Amino acid sequence: MTAALEITDVHKSFGKQKVLNGLSLRVEEGEIVGLLGPNGCGKSTVLNIIGQLLLPDAGQISLMGQALHPSNGKARSRVGFCAQRCALYPDLLPAEHLHFFGRLHGLTEKECQQRVAELMRTFSLNAFANTRVGQLSGGWQQRLHLAVALVHQPSVLVLDEPTAAVDVEARMELWRVIRDLRDRGTTVVFTSHHLAEAERLCTTVALMRNGKVAAQGSVAELLLRVPGQAVAKLQSEDHETITQRALLRGWTVRQHAGEMRLLLPHNLGLRDIIEALDGAKLTSLSVQPVGLDDAYLELLREDAM
Amino acid sequence: MTSTRLLLNQTWAVAQRLLLEQWRQKRGLVFWAIFPATMMLLFGLVYANNINMRAGLDAAAAGILVGAALFFSCLGGTVAIIAAERERGTLLRLRTTPLRPSAYFFGVVLSQLVLALMQVVMLYSIALLMGVQYHGSLLLGGLILLLSVFSYVGMGFFLGVRFARRSEEVVVALSAIGVPILVLGGTFFPLEIMPQAMQSLAQLNPILHMNQAFKGVAAYGKNFVDLRFELIFLWGFSGLCLGLGIHAFQQLLETDKNA
Repeated sequence: MTAALEITDVHKSFGKQKVLNGLSLRVEEGEIVGLLGPNGCGKSTVLNIIGQLLLPDAGQISLMGQALHPSNGKARSRVGFCAQRCALYPDLLPAEHLHFFGRLHGLTEKECQQRVAELMRTFSLNAFANTRVGQLSGGWQQRLHLAVALVHQPSVLVLDEPTAAVDVEARMELWRVIRDLRDRGTTVVFTSHHLAEAERLCTTVALMRNGKVAAQGSVAELLLRVPGQAVAKLQSEDHETITQRALLRGWTVRQHAGEMRLLLPHNLGLRDIIEALDGAKLTSLSVQPVGLDDAYLELLREDAM
Repeated sequence: MTSTRLLLNQTWAVAQRLLLEQWRQKRGLVFWAIFPATMMLLFGLVYANNINMRAGLDAAAAGILVGAALFFSCLGGTVAIIAAERERGTLLRLRTTPLRPSAYFFGVVLSQLVLALMQVVMLYSIALLMGVQYHGSLLLGGLILLLSVFSYVGMGFFLGVRFARRSEEVVVALSAIGVPILVLGGTFFPLEIMPQAMQSLAQLNPILHMNQAFKGVAAYGKNFVDLRFELIFLWGFSGLCLGLGIHAFQQLLETDKNA
């Protein structure tokens, strides 16, 4: 089956700095794929290459089986790109933006009008039909920013941290819009620093490190790679005692940013954990099922070893 | 949609957007009108009330239009457009569309032509009220203005791409580069009162030739044959500016792509 987006062995350097180092990624039609990874791992660079804002030094990218290249206008028109920064014209109205970009994409006047009306409705922008974009709140600007990327009905939508600068309410609304797009058959690839966002939205998560994909799979598949079903997060100065007692029980011990994490084979109550650590001094303790953040830390750790 | 139709569609969309933005920025539009109107009133009053200088009144209107009004609106306006697109991040957004650099370029030219036409009407309305007379062919005058707008927009693209990364830099770039060129172009003072060395240097200044061409037709009623050298120069210069402008803009997009 032809992939909606296929990236094969892509390399990209900026001067002497190698940002992408043989990155490969396959995205099926109708998927929502989240690219996660630490700052500087190359997430935005991949998106910029898909959006044709950057050219790769080597490697291939294809959309629905067609090579993505500046000379291939057909493949290019299948991508909708939404940069991290809201790039809009402050003196224009929302519909004027959509109309302008529709015409740049080659839509006829009639097609433009239909599409503008549809997007204004989908993104609930009609309430602000007479408001200049510069006077809209950040959340509404972000919606319009996303709507503009969809004006030519792309089959693949690329979003660089779409909810980075919006409040919780606007974020949840954008999640709804992205899910609706997926339901209508649009493939979505986005980057995010919010693991909860990826957990709630993505059908597939790709974890990036050092310019390539370190792991890829559904959230459930990635969770299976964590050596435990629950995680106890604790703070203590008695690291040695805790480590010894946890290892005796067969638990996995991890430390991240001053926090100890014990990966437990099954969910345990706080009392059971305190008893198991018998006498160790604890400042704080919480226990919860493993989540994507645990998988993320675990897989990045594996990859670094 | 055919390739040519898409190009025309994109050009018109860019021009329409720029004019709409200009229309919404009412304060900017007021200053855009005040500058040439004030210049015309000041110079007009000086020339009209001095019996020895009355002959210069017709030429003053032509000089202010080509040398000052169009310079600041078309060249300055283009530099400001490039700087604003960069600053707002919209240049990046435009690059994700199939917009052709030439369509963007000619969209800017078209919008500046509309603004130039409005300035011509406004400035000459004031000038005619002050007793200025237009002596030559309207067609020839229109052609000179058209070539001047092409030249200014081309220069604006070149300077905007090279020097103006932020809006604040536009004023500085225009003052540093533009004002000396205007003075040397005979916009404010007749060339004859300048020292010989400055007069020789001024011959290299394209604005001097634009000024002389438009003054020639508007104030002295010269025809195509009389102005053939200025016209050849203007054709060449506007072609060069268009080439430089499109090339600089294309280079800007390509450089960013490989950056």
